[in-house]
Amino acid sequence: MAIDTHIPSESDLETIDINVNVGPQHPATHGVFRMILTVDGELVIDLDPVIGYMHRGNEKLPENCDYRQVIGYHDRTDYLAQFNTEHCYVEAVEKLAGITPPERAEYIRVILAELNRIASHLMFFGAFGTDIGLFGTSFMYAFRDREIIQDFFEEITGERMMYNYFRPGGVAWDLPDNFKQRCTQVLDSHKRGAEQLDGLFMENEIVLARCRGLSPVSTEDGINWGLTGPMLRATGLMHDIRRAEPYSIYDRFDFDIPTGQQGDVYDRLVVRLEEMKQSTRIVEQALAEMPEGPIMAEGLKLVLRVPAGEVYMRVESPRGEYGVYLVSQGSDKPWRHKVRGASFSNLSALRAMSVGHYVSDVIIILGSIDIVLCEVDR
Amino acid sequence: MVHEAATAAPAEPIEPGPVARLFQSVIPSIEFEIGQSPLDEVITVRRDDFVRVMEAAKNDERLAFDCLRCLSGVDYLTDLETVYHFYSFRHGHSLAIKVRCPNEDPHVPTVSHLWHTANWHERETHELYGIVFDGHPDLRPLLTEEGLGYYIMRKSHPLADIEEWQEDYLATIEQAKAQMAAATGVAPPVDEKALKIQMAQQKGAVMKKARDEARAKGLSPEDEKAAVQAAIKKFEEEFAAGQGAAPAAAPAKPVDDRAAKIQLAQQKAALITKTREEARAKGVSPEEERQIVAEALKKFSEGQEAAAAPAAAPAPATPAAPAAPMDRAAKIQLAQQKAALITKTREEARAKGLSPEDERQAVAEALKAFAEEQKGA
Repeated sequence: MAIDTHIPSESDLETIDINVNVGPQHPATHGVFRMILTVDGELVIDLDPVIGYMHRGNEKLPENCDYRQVIGYHDRTDYLAQFNTEHCYVEAVEKLAGITPPERAEYIRVILAELNRIASHLMFFGAFGTDIGLFGTSFMYAFRDREIIQDFFEEITGERMMYNYFRPGGVAWDLPDNFKQRCTQVLDSHKRGAEQLDGLFMENEIVLARCRGLSPVSTEDGINWGLTGPMLRATGLMHDIRRAEPYSIYDRFDFDIPTGQQGDVYDRLVVRLEEMKQSTRIVEQALAEMPEGPIMAEGLKLVLRVPAGEVYMRVESPRGEYGVYLVSQGSDKPWRHKVRGASFSNLSALRAMSVGHYVSDVIIILGSIDIVLCEVDR
Repeated sequence: MVHEAATAAPAEPIEPGPVARLFQSVIPSIEFEIGQSPLDEVITVRRDDFVRVMEAAKNDERLAFDCLRCLSGVDYLTDLETVYHFYSFRHGHSLAIKVRCPNEDPHVPTVSHLWHTANWHERETHELYGIVFDGHPDLRPLLTEEGLGYYIMRKSHPLADIEEWQEDYLATIEQAKAQMAAATGVAPPVDEKALKIQMAQQKGAVMKKARDEARAKGLSPEDEKAAVQAAIKKFEEEFAAGQGAAPAAAPAKPVDDRAAKIQLAQQKAALITKTREEARAKGVSPEEERQIVAEALKKFSEGQEAAAAPAAAPAPATPAAPAAPMDRAAKIQLAQQKAALITKTREEARAKGLSPEDERQAVAEALKAFAEEQKGA
């Protein structure tokens, strides 16, 4: 009896592409986000991101609010970098109304915004570790450190997440007396934690195997797709709004802009880890220079009326360029209040970055964008 | 919701900045208006020139706007505006380009083939403002559900009608209270919570007194507890007796007034429901529906006033009404006088160069003198 040894090759088989739905409720999508993948075997040949599950009119509501009431809505866009978003909004109002905040308030804002950047990147490392299979360890390391910063913010603002602390013209109240001492403590513990994270991630076998060379992006493509922040710096472009168009008092500090080489997922990790160190440097310098004095500009009215005009204010948030486009018609409410979310634009490049990769790698690519769905959907 | 009309452009011409001049030299044949913003230069171009402008902005070596950082729609009531904020990584300059289109013809050519990031931004602006970006590959809604049929970010779309909602809510509560009163035959107590608090306070005082007395007598802890409990029991009995007497003592007059008010509220609520249902049956838009209801209510209250005028006497609420506005006007006048006084005193103090504390004191003294003057008058 002859044995049939013919093994069918791929060209003999009839294959069909399958649609795979990921989300909206899925731990790997970092929130309420849905992807419709079209797969050929394990290979993703098309991807349709579906967003909007968290849309709640975060641009419409502020157009019916007093200028100071809007601050809270900015905490609720990028809820991992609240101080950075508040910073952007109050700067926009100040630019339009011609208010100059006192020196001390500027220093407080910069210190808190940079600490917030560290906390946000810690959150990224915790969540990203679970995406690539470092369950537990990375999450615990990062969250231990993040919690210390979170507690510190709570001591200052009274809130754990939605701080609502910055105001047009300054900050809501002065810092506690032991601020400098506590801040130094927080920085020291963060430095130790960052070393551990460095050791856990950068030479880890799993990280190297799964992230290096994955989904490289060229600088031209990155710019054209609207990438900003660490995503763009990973492609090798040395650009940071804090340096290119300095706002607040960022021109006084000495810090480096970390860049990657080929824009792959590993480079994005390196850039973020290095950014935490640079933020620590900025906070240390600001702590040393911080003057005493008033924390609120004088002569502000209870109801803030902003002269007619418009401004597009942008800041370097942990996720990239966070912008607020304000149009005022001279009343006490903004006429137009647009939020340019960094992760909204970064996420729009997901399809271009993912097509041609394996399904399990798409989860990593999505994780490396570091999206915050509340800011994407607004 | 009332919106003030869009303000006109500032009268004096604005000097073009370096980027606007560069723009002019690159495309000299284009007319554009120059606007002002604290951070970027702003130019407004005509829609006919838009495609040429955008291609030049992207491809010209001198402009080289490689980054479209933000794309926003703005509703100026008669016009819709699309604002493009650009940044050039090569030259480090920025510019905002605006283009307007009328409400009736909301079409703007797409730029998603020049900047891929415009793809999602245009989809979002399309669904929120109804601006159609001609040539866009995929204008499905991004944030809202498909087939919504209205554009939520336009100023004509209301946020929510809180006043109407509150009116409905209050009417419902009044109705429920009236039903309860009709069923039990007893008017609900005026303020149950305050009554409870009062009772608790009295009870606390009784307990404290009984305990102090027991301790002064040198009783044992058990006896002390028993004495306190006896005092509480006595107090509760007294209180129950007192409460039974209290509502009996003061009935009659307020109930009648209240019943009239409730009846009015019920009539109003019924009218609102009826009008709204009729309007919905006709299939009018929510705004028109609201207007119809408002008109019906107005008519109703006019009718009420007309009915009350000839009768005059039996309506105890109406004579009180005209007194209130006068009182209000006087109050407003007083407040205005006070505000003027404060401003004046503060300015004087500032002119003298007083410290903030002295200034505050001066204002306080002036206010005190004013109050005494008022009292004398």
